[in-house]
Amino acid sequence: MISWNNNALRDVLKEVDYAEEIYKCIQCGMCAGSCPLRHHMDYPPRKIFALLRTGNIDLVLNSKSIFLCTSCYSCIVRCPRGIHVMDIMHGLAHYAIKMGKISRKNTATFGQEFWKQIYKRGRVDEKDLSRRYFFSDGIVQGIKNALSMADMGIIMLLHGRMKLLPEKPIKGIKQLRIMLDKAEQESRR
Amino acid sequence: MKYFLYWGCSLEASGANYLKSLKPVCELLGMEFEEIDDWNCCGASVSYAGARDLSIRVLNARNLALAEMQGGYDIIAPCSSCYIQLIRTNHELREDEKLKEKVNSILREAGLTYNGTVNVRHIVDVLYNDVGIDRIKQKVTRPLSGLKVAGYVGCQSVRPYGEYDSKERPRVQDEILKALGAEPVKFPKKMQCCGSGIFLPEMELCMGLVKDILEDAIAHEAKIVSTVCPMCAMNLELYQGRINQLYNTNIQIPIVYLTQLMAVAFGLDLKEGAFLHMNYIPPEYVIKPILMQGGDSK
Ligand code: SF4
Ligand code: SF4
Repeated sequence: MISWNNNALRDVLKEVDYAEEIYKCIQCGMCAGSCPLRHHMDYPPRKIFALLRTGNIDLVLNSKSIFLCTSCYSCIVRCPRGIHVMDIMHGLAHYAIKMGKISRKNTATFGQEFWKQIYKRGRVDEKDLSRRYFFSDGIVQGIKNALSMADMGIIMLLHGRMKLLPEKPIKGIKQLRIMLDKAEQESRR
Repeated sequence: MKYFLYWGCSLEASGANYLKSLKPVCELLGMEFEEIDDWNCCGASVSYAGARDLSIRVLNARNLALAEMQGGYDIIAPCSSCYIQLIRTNHELREDEKLKEKVNSILREAGLTYNGTVNVRHIVDVLYNDVGIDRIKQKVTRPLSGLKVAGYVGCQSVRPYGEYDSKERPRVQDEILKALGAEPVKFPKKMQCCGSGIFLPEMELCMGLVKDILEDAIAHEAKIVSTVCPMCAMNLELYQGRINQLYNTNIQIPIVYLTQLMAVAFGLDLKEGAFLHMNYIPPEYVIKPILMQGGDSK
């Protein structure tokens, strides 16, 4: 059962959407067999939930598994207990980033940049997204990263599949930000 | 038949050939589109890094509210990620009064409300259920006879709701392919995820997923892969060279959108209607021989 002395677990239950559902888990393993990147995960979702229940929060937040969810929805379809497995994995990744525990830096950066674009413009500009993603470690590493992907960018450009003009913010960007700020506040309650 | 077409961010860029081929095809089938004025991004599948669930629901509820206010037509989302985010939000708001009230209290900050009256549809759903196989067949002037196609479904267009097709054994895309005269092949990895939104940052790992999917399609004699999602298309197509380098394989198979094959079968121009020249791996070398058999290669 929930040990309320365990502050770390209590925080997870508060900060991670749907986390209270881990107490419904019967450890059947249906989810674990469903993750496309399961062979690269240190702990499958089933194990993640067991670790949480026994208070091993650090192991969970430092695990790379929580960043390797491809959002394939298989677990949602298959979990016999109707647990929002995917959403808990996403929420754990979000919380881990917030706590500065970032086991997969690329994926964390990419996702954060994606959200920043939405907050900034209301839409995502793929080319600006990749630029910011590649340059998140500073200019030197950025040029190296971008060059390593240059062949891709050139292929896309040649085939007319990259927009040349920067994306402008949507008209309602101010209101959108007000809404997103309020949603963020509400989530914390 | 009037709809909102919510094409989303990637159909303006990396998935441009999807949007460009979809428009003339749907027009030919008698569909009319409007844009949701001032729509915003759906959050796709990686926003969770920066946002909690409620923020992502609000993001999508804004689009639903705008659509409701602007006429309330069904929203067609051709991108599976947009589709899943919109339809999920719609489901949750329709089923959970408390959530609806909470989201509406946030929408009201911008003078919006959502009553839950708009339907969200995938393009494949609309093609199959509103337009129908008969009508699609009627429009075929250049049947794709003998073209062996792997109709790749992936994840987010049928999971988790199975709104218009089976979650584990989908067949709707294959039915449409058959209506075009093509031969859909059976391949077990039809539903295996391609890595979706984390492909770019987890490229090394996700290339293995794509390799398995493509090798499976090729082993089952597919000459071309058809997709209905810009993320799937990009992940399956753009990295084939790198996969071959990494695994010492020799994979080369064109990846097209279902709508591009429809454009070809409907007799539209290969360039101006099907936009085949925008694909990275030229599909023409597979498609032209098929058309030549029918005496038409324009
Ligand atoms: S499928 Fe559901 S019940 Fe089974 S282990 Fe996973 S989360 Fe637990
Ligand atoms: S959605 Fe995520 S957690 Fe669920 S099966 Fe897919 S990869 Fe695993």
